[in-house]
Amino acid sequence: MANLKKLIIEPLRKTNPVTVLVLGICSCLAVTAQLKPALVMGLSVTVVTALSNFIISLLRKGIPNRIRIIVQLVVVATLVILIDQFLKAFAYDVSKQLSVYVGLIITNCIIMGRLEAFALSHGPGESFLDGLGNGLGYSLILVIVAFFRELFGSGTLLGYQVIPQSFYEAGYQNNGLMILPPMALIVVGVIIWIQRTRNPEMQENNQN
Amino acid sequence: MKKDVNSNRYIFLYATILIVIVAVLLTVTAFWLQPFQDRNKKNEKRISILTAAGIPNVDAKNAPLLFEKHCTGSFLLDESGNISEDGTLPLFVIDRQISVIPMQGNGLWGPIWGYLAIAADGKTILGANFDHKSETPGLGGEITTEKFKGQFSGKQILENGNLVPIQFDAITGATKTSNGVKEMIDNTLEKYAPFLEKINSNDEIK
Repeated sequence: MANLKKLIIEPLRKTNPVTVLVLGICSCLAVTAQLKPALVMGLSVTVVTALSNFIISLLRKGIPNRIRIIVQLVVVATLVILIDQFLKAFAYDVSKQLSVYVGLIITNCIIMGRLEAFALSHGPGESFLDGLGNGLGYSLILVIVAFFRELFGSGTLLGYQVIPQSFYEAGYQNNGLMILPPMALIVVGVIIWIQRTRNPEMQENNQN
Repeated sequence: MKKDVNSNRYIFLYATILIVIVAVLLTVTAFWLQPFQDRNKKNEKRISILTAAGIPNVDAKNAPLLFEKHCTGSFLLDESGNISEDGTLPLFVIDRQISVIPMQGNGLWGPIWGYLAIAADGKTILGANFDHKSETPGLGGEITTEKFKGQFSGKQILENGNLVPIQFDAITGATKTSNGVKEMIDNTLEKYAPFLEKINSNDEIK
């Protein structure tokens, strides 16, 4: 039981796919200008990693080794297209903001990485939790980055104005740089910095 | 029978079955969700048209009702500005007075489009609405903001019955997108010029 819990908790912290494994950075830059698309993107990736891990784990004994990457891609692509269609039908404005990045979930390294590293050698239940954990770890970073970018870049959170009008009258201005992709990298960098400062065992030893 | 997971026969069979299952699944979902997606696209267009014509507080929920109420006709115009069955220029009439015309053009990274609402006199812009596929957020993407769209209200497009090129404040750092918007408006107005001149001298729309 403790082991299962670890599968979900660890990717949020010590094996975080974004800050520790440094996977899925591109989409992290692209969809974090605002909180809402970041939440939807995080949710979509979580669903895809969890379900694709589960499905591949179920099929793992029957998958011919020589076409295993193709089979993985087909499963992931199918799930991504399904999610894209659902977003277009029921969350149209968000799907417009995410545009091509939903489709690009297919190429998100986290998913293929977890399939190869975990789902092919573990049971469906464990794989599902592992996918869930990694998806949530990704979402966590996305949401943190989006929070700061939307707050300082647009003065809003989830579209609601949070920085009061009196601030603007006193000369406060939104920081346009926060909306541009490079700032996402810098915010991710700060998160990694804080994380490593608090967990000294994660720092590489440069003396070797 | 012990199956050999790596034999050619097994691989072909496996791939074929997998693809058929996936294909069926995707087709069924696509068919099932088609009506919802079409409705969203239609609503988006309605919202754009109504917002350009200056109708406040349009959202996805009330768009069909408001559109029904305000849109008094949609026509196709031919090149000389007459309403004709096989015209190529769409025109939406809002509240029997305002002509809303669709625009299409190119930004820096991809297509941009929008709607232009023109008053009954045929020469005053009432409002404009822009959207884009992939302009840079914070730069070209700013064409969707109120600040940018707002400056078009009240601009005159005809002078002594002749078309004048549009002038507006471009966005700093988004020269290509701004040029794209200008080109889009000028090109569109050029096509609609006969119609606009006509309503300008008549002061009425059918």
